[in-house]
Parts: sequence; C-alpha cells; structure tokens
Amino acid sequence: MTPGTLLTPFVVEAVSPGAMREWSVFLADPNPIHLDAEAVRAAGLGDRPINQGPANLAYLINLLSLNFPEMDIVTLETRFNGNVFAGDRCVAGGHVIEVGETGVRCEIWLDVDGGGRAVSANASVRKRARP
Amino acid sequence: MNATQDDIPPPPEVRGIVLDGAEPYVIKADENAALCRSTGIEPAGDGTAHPIYHFIATQLGMKHSVAEFCALFDFDVADGPMIVGSIVTFHTPLRVETPYWVRGEILSITRKQSRKLGTMDVADYRLALLDGETSVAEVTNSWIFPRKART
Repeated sequence: MTPGTLLTPFVVEAVSPGAMREWSVFLADPNPIHLDAEAVRAAGLGDRPINQGPANLAYLINLLSLNFPEMDIVTLETRFNGNVFAGDRCVAGGHVIEVGETGVRCEIWLDVDGGGRAVSANASVRKRARP
Repeated sequence: MNATQDDIPPPPEVRGIVLDGAEPYVIKADENAALCRSTGIEPAGDGTAHPIYHFIATQLGMKHSVAEFCALFDFDVADGPMIVGSIVTFHTPLRVETPYWVRGEILSITRKQSRKLGTMDVADYRLALLDGETSVAEVTNSWIFPRKART
C-alpha cells in the first residue's frame, strides 16, 4: 500500500427506510425527516426520508474496517456535505495519503449515485496494539 | 419577507456551558449487533463496539437530549438543526457493556450568513468519553442552527 492507492469501496446498494427507523432508536432521535416522506416534503428537503448523518459516517467507518482489518481508527475528521435519501445507492471510497511505520492516513468519502458527495473525511488508522 | 440580521436576536451566550452527563452510557451488545447489521456488517466477536458509538454514546450520554441541547441555543429541534462536521480522536477502541461517562462543554457559537440558509449560527461543542477517569475518545461536533426572523 502506497500513497495514492485506492481503497476497496464499501457499497450500500439501497439505503433502507427500515434501518432509518432503527437508527432513530439508536440515536434517540424521533426527527420525522428520517421516518416520514411527508415530513421531508413539508420541510422542502425532498420527497424521501433522509438518512441520519451518523449512519452515513458509519458507512465510512465500515470502509476503514474493510480495508484495514488489523488496524484501529485513531482520528476521523468529517464534513457532512449533503443528504442521503431512502433508496439511494451510495459508495464509500477513498485513497491513501500517507503510509507510516505504524499507521496509514487516508482521504475518504461517501458518494451518492446521481447525488454527489454526501460526506468527506480524513482518517488515520494504526496497527492494533491489543492482544 | 425574508429575515434580515436586524430581525434576529443575537446568538445566545452559551460558550462554556457544561454538558457533563449525569449517568454513564453503556453500549448494549445486542444493540451494537443490530446497529452493525443495519449498516451491512457483522459485529466484532472480540467485545469491541462499532466505532460510530463515539457519536452515539457522547450524544446520548451528555446532560441534554437533542431537543434540550437545541433549546440551549434558543432553537426548536423541529426547525431542523444540521450537523456539518465532526472530529474524533480515539485512544482505545470502544467496548460493549462498559459504562462510559461523558464530559464536555460548548466551545463557541458564531453568527454567519449563508446564501442557501440565510442567517445561521454555527456551534462547536466538545465531548469526551471516559472509562473511569481514562479518556477513550474525544469528539468535537459542529452544528448549524438556521435562524428565522421573529414573527
């Protein structure tokens, strides 16, 4: 692995409204824009439920786990740029910026098919120290 | 009529408000498993939790619910706060069935103008997740509160 190496993408074929309902419980967040398309329309934000931002971030974390199974995340600096809607196909991808003796630094992102970049982040991971 | 800056009260004085939680947050093993599967992966078999719990544990383990937190900023959660950024540093992986305490404070609030959102306040707050007295992760989140003129 060298700077510029592309990460193996983590793909979500269709963001699930059922998962959004679960995340409303995980986050204790009953905001209806994650549950009810009518609430999204009323807010002028679209016509499908909007995936929770932390769920989008979880896809990026899954990308790191997929590509660095023997490493732990050290830092993650994330920008939320746009929404991911129910039914969207999204692809978490990235590339290596720097490789050190004990870790790797990457630029990663979550792109929505036909919808642009929803999340962008810089991440660093290091070799797992625990037994 | 669109709101102008003059119609909107100045941002509230929130810098330094303490967000320490009153009781610890525990990542339940069964919930962690459900969360992992909801994102398309299987849970780890070594007792570690999905790292996204840095966000969930700090948010739910702090003093205020999301609605109460928004109210500190004179903002109704129904009006759509937006998280725009998050920075986390992990010192150790998070584990299930471990009580984590949350300590934190509001760092800043800044009034800004956006072509898309109009007048808005950008708030930064920091939360640490502790296992006993040992910090396992530190999170700084940035939220936007779009402002409306008083009617």
